[in-house]
Amino acid sequence: MSRSSKIVATIGIGFVGIILLAAVFAPILTEHPPNTTSGLAFESPSADHLLGTDDLGRDLWSQLLFGARISLSVGLAAAIIATVVGTVVALIAGYRGGTVDAVLMRVVDLVLSMPFLVLVLVLVTYFGRGLSVTIALIAGVLWARPARLLRGQVLKVKEFEHVVAAEAMGAGLWRILGLHILPRLTPLLSSQFVRAAAVAVIVQSGIAFLGLGDPSSVSWGATLSFANNASAILTDAWKWWILPPGIALTILIVGFAFIGYAAEEWADPRLTSYGYQRGVRRVLEEHPASPAGENESLVVRNLSVHYETEPPVHATTSVDLRTRSGRILGMVGESGSGKSTLAMAIAGLLAPPGRIVEGEVVLGDTDLRRLGRVGLTKLRGRRFAVVPQAAMSLLDPIITIRRQVAESALMTRRDGLEYASQLLSRVGIDPDRHDAYPHELSGGMRQRVVIAMAIANQPELLIADEPTTGLDVVTQRELLDLLDSLRSELEMDVLIISHDLRMVGSIADDLAIMYAGRIAELGEASAVLASPRHPYTELLLNAFPPVLGPRRPPVPIPGDPPDLSQIESGCPFAPRCPKVFETCLETVPEYVPVACHLAAT
Amino acid sequence: MRRAGRLALQYGLVVVAALVLNFILPRLAAGDPVDYLIPPDSSGFVTAEQRQATLARYDLDGSNRQQFVTYVKNLTHGDLGVSIRTGQPVREVVTGRLGWSLLLVGVAVSISTVLGVLLGFAAGWRRGTKRDIGVLSAVLAVDALPAFFVGLMLLLAFSVKLDWFPVYGAIAAGDITGWARVTDVARRLVLPASTLILTGIGSVFVVSRSALVSELGEDYVFMARAKGLDDRAVRRHAQRNALLPVSTAALLGFSTLVGAATVVETIFSYPGLGSLAFDSVLARDYPVLQGVFLLLALIAIGANFFNDLLYPRLDPRVRKVG
Repeated sequence: MSRSSKIVATIGIGFVGIILLAAVFAPILTEHPPNTTSGLAFESPSADHLLGTDDLGRDLWSQLLFGARISLSVGLAAAIIATVVGTVVALIAGYRGGTVDAVLMRVVDLVLSMPFLVLVLVLVTYFGRGLSVTIALIAGVLWARPARLLRGQVLKVKEFEHVVAAEAMGAGLWRILGLHILPRLTPLLSSQFVRAAAVAVIVQSGIAFLGLGDPSSVSWGATLSFANNASAILTDAWKWWILPPGIALTILIVGFAFIGYAAEEWADPRLTSYGYQRGVRRVLEEHPASPAGENESLVVRNLSVHYETEPPVHATTSVDLRTRSGRILGMVGESGSGKSTLAMAIAGLLAPPGRIVEGEVVLGDTDLRRLGRVGLTKLRGRRFAVVPQAAMSLLDPIITIRRQVAESALMTRRDGLEYASQLLSRVGIDPDRHDAYPHELSGGMRQRVVIAMAIANQPELLIADEPTTGLDVVTQRELLDLLDSLRSELEMDVLIISHDLRMVGSIADDLAIMYAGRIAELGEASAVLASPRHPYTELLLNAFPPVLGPRRPPVPIPGDPPDLSQIESGCPFAPRCPKVFETCLETVPEYVPVACHLAAT
Repeated sequence: MRRAGRLALQYGLVVVAALVLNFILPRLAAGDPVDYLIPPDSSGFVTAEQRQATLARYDLDGSNRQQFVTYVKNLTHGDLGVSIRTGQPVREVVTGRLGWSLLLVGVAVSISTVLGVLLGFAAGWRRGTKRDIGVLSAVLAVDALPAFFVGLMLLLAFSVKLDWFPVYGAIAAGDITGWARVTDVARRLVLPASTLILTGIGSVFVVSRSALVSELGEDYVFMARAKGLDDRAVRRHAQRNALLPVSTAALLGFSTLVGAATVVETIFSYPGLGSLAFDSVLARDYPVLQGVFLLLALIAIGANFFNDLLYPRLDPRVRKVG
């Protein structure tokens, strides 16, 4: 939970606490009964009657204190009933699905859109005004909201592995619901409970204000009702007759609302998490980085990126990398090797807590790290372009692909649309599909659209992060060929990131193998594939046997990549290396350009 | 078209359910209907003949089934019975109030939706910052103020102390026409509408804020940044998507607000459906109460239906399905 929402929660608990204290200690704090005459009518505040008296000579201070009991009990009781009913309905509807679900949800929709204050008023007329009736009626309209939200959660949770496993083992219905699904609903449930309590307090006070509350008890709403009927706003009496119960109600409802908000954040931490870094001025390096050399476009020097969590994760450490003009550089590593982080750091798309702690990124003669956020945004999509991971959901679902491609191009809207069509045709999308929405296209098509957006301004450099992951082999091949032909057509350099060494190796001119946030081996693709010098590269090659040639089963690499939040001495690959020897455990091998003690000797 | 057909069927069933509910609810109540039907002030001893006459007048003689048939038959003619209090046909009473309700709630909903969405999007865009939490806390606090308390305080400040606005009613008594009529209606609308706006803004704010926050976490927003769009363009993408749940919430909230306006209408003596419901409750004028309830239910169902029709226009993903 973030610090700010902790403050909000504390204030909320404090507010509800004040009201709770008033409710508990009411008989000690006043001698007067709240609903029988104990003085003259319309008395001003005095030592005996701290807040004066109402039109019937009843003590207002006492009404204020005892009112807390009514509001709290109505709020909590109605919230408990509403949440329990809502949860049961949600469990049944969500878990059963089908017709049961459809029918229950229509009922929920109906109740949700009912004018519920009027409904309660009507029901109060027919069923009477007692406090318990009021509670039941409020709960009767409040259950629908938690039911609807919790059902959505049930739908998600029931697909979780442990639930599916419990089902497979033949656990009974109630056991699954109670033991496996219910606990996962707790955060949402608690936020809905507090919310229901707040609404119940509001509705009860509204009913009482309209004079339809329980006639035998004086709640805050009733006090205000008497004040309104006696036209207290026309005299000074509003100060002690209207203000205190109004403020007390507000304190209680604000208290519930604040607690509810904090609980909601607990249920959905995204609500206050920071997104993309903004407004943070980058600390400029003291000296501008030297420009890239001849025949080089992107140069990365000594780049270290950390995720500033507790403990910090060293995602990349002192990475040196360059792309050569007109060539494809393939960057390969297991997941968690820091390759995507590296790509995003280069593109200035790193989200907090990720941060570049050291190093230079140079594109031609431009020092990207000195540009700042806005400057970098202007370059991105123009001089260099990015195809991020997760291509299936990279397109805005409610805008046609042509408009989205047009948006990338630096043109007027009209020219842009025409140009977008050309681009889409170029990447192989049928003209009659140009005005389609993303959901109408296959995964491969969507990836083509993303590539069309990336090349819209003919960038010098294209960074593609796992551009073919999740697609079938034929589509993978087609996309790689497309990238290859675009590369020569537009004379751009390409940096492709992938976990599949063979696949990238088939089109890359150069290969960089990453392990544990460091470059393990770098060299011409043909050389790396034919005679790998780093034991890790060798194992990677065995893990992805060649598609052509004799059949060989893939050999998985034993062990797991190291935890990058733990700094250990020695070569990071040592624990998994079949050729490990003493030196490997002591020092990190220099990168020369193979980071292995064997290669150095 | 299959979708439209299925929708029509679903809503037909819902309307029937609402009609049946409206018929059953009063009959579930404890006690003799005559106790309700004869106005409190003239009650007391009731003869058997008076009793029978009263029941016949309100179509309450005969079996439940016969009563239901009469109820449906009358409904098809638009006949909702007559008011116990005034003897007027319920339909006239109810439709006379509908206009004022729609004016008050329409103005309030429009303004609070626009304000709530703007504030909610601004806070969501800056989620987690001090400013966001500040706006959030303030809106939650305003939202927590009970409507009648806000109403009374506004009345106190602007009508009693400052004397800027009239205290009661939707329009001055007597004949005023033309421009004078418009300004009078507008002046009398300010305080009740403000009360509704202040108390209604919170829910729109919360929905807008969390909708935008969840959209900002989507991959297409990241793609928008990756292709070099500036903050404004990125925000536009996310906001367009975030408006989908917001529009649904705003539409469905409308009918709830018509009912919730009861308290505000009562304080400001505003002649809307809410205060009519309230007056009818006090007078036990239950044909009118049933009429109001039916009308509000139909508005609610209508809003739902409209939302179901509108949604595919906003979201292409729903268009082809079903």
